[in-house]
Amino acid sequence: MENLRQIHNRQKRALFFLLALLVLGWGFTPWPKVFAGLILGILFGLYNFWILVRRMEKFDRTLTEGTRAPSLGSGIRFASGVAAAAIAISLPETFDLIATVIGLMIPYGLMLAERITYHLKHQDSGEKER
Amino acid sequence: MGLLAAAIAVGLGALGAGIGNGLIVSRTVEGIARQPEARGVLQTTMFIGVALVEALPIIATVIAFIVMNR
Repeated sequence: MENLRQIHNRQKRALFFLLALLVLGWGFTPWPKVFAGLILGILFGLYNFWILVRRMEKFDRTLTEGTRAPSLGSGIRFASGVAAAAIAISLPETFDLIATVIGLMIPYGLMLAERITYHLKHQDSGEKER
Repeated sequence: MGLLAAAIAVGLGALGAGIGNGLIVSRTVEGIARQPEARGVLQTTMFIGVALVEALPIIATVIAFIVMNR
């Protein structure tokens, strides 16, 4: 099974590819607000995942050292979601609010889909190992 | 009324996330204590679990914020 960094790197690669497509949509389609909202949401979603990976590694380190475990940083992630919504609310002529909220959840949906396909692909090899 | 709705949304969302995260982390730590060699797999599973558990409270918080600013 892959480790945290590998999963995060693969997710980042897929999201940057998606971001490139969304920038094309922002520049060349008649719905720049929707695409800008999606881009904003995805950037904040990526930030959330980056924090989560960092916190998980820190948690693992403290578990090994036997020191006091840190919090998982849920509050910061909630706050970054609110920050994305606040930017979209304060600049309604640039960002679409609904698209921002959808964009915020795209990294999560992508990770779920990626993990399901990974497990379906490696199901046979896992059974052989056992 | 909007404030009350926002408070209920954030409160219930955070309650669910707290219980869910607590269960995930406690079982992961228990699993690592039992089988230290399975640490990598358990950590990855914990990462996915925590990420998915937190998706809904984040949406709840964002919706509460939108309701408050309406």
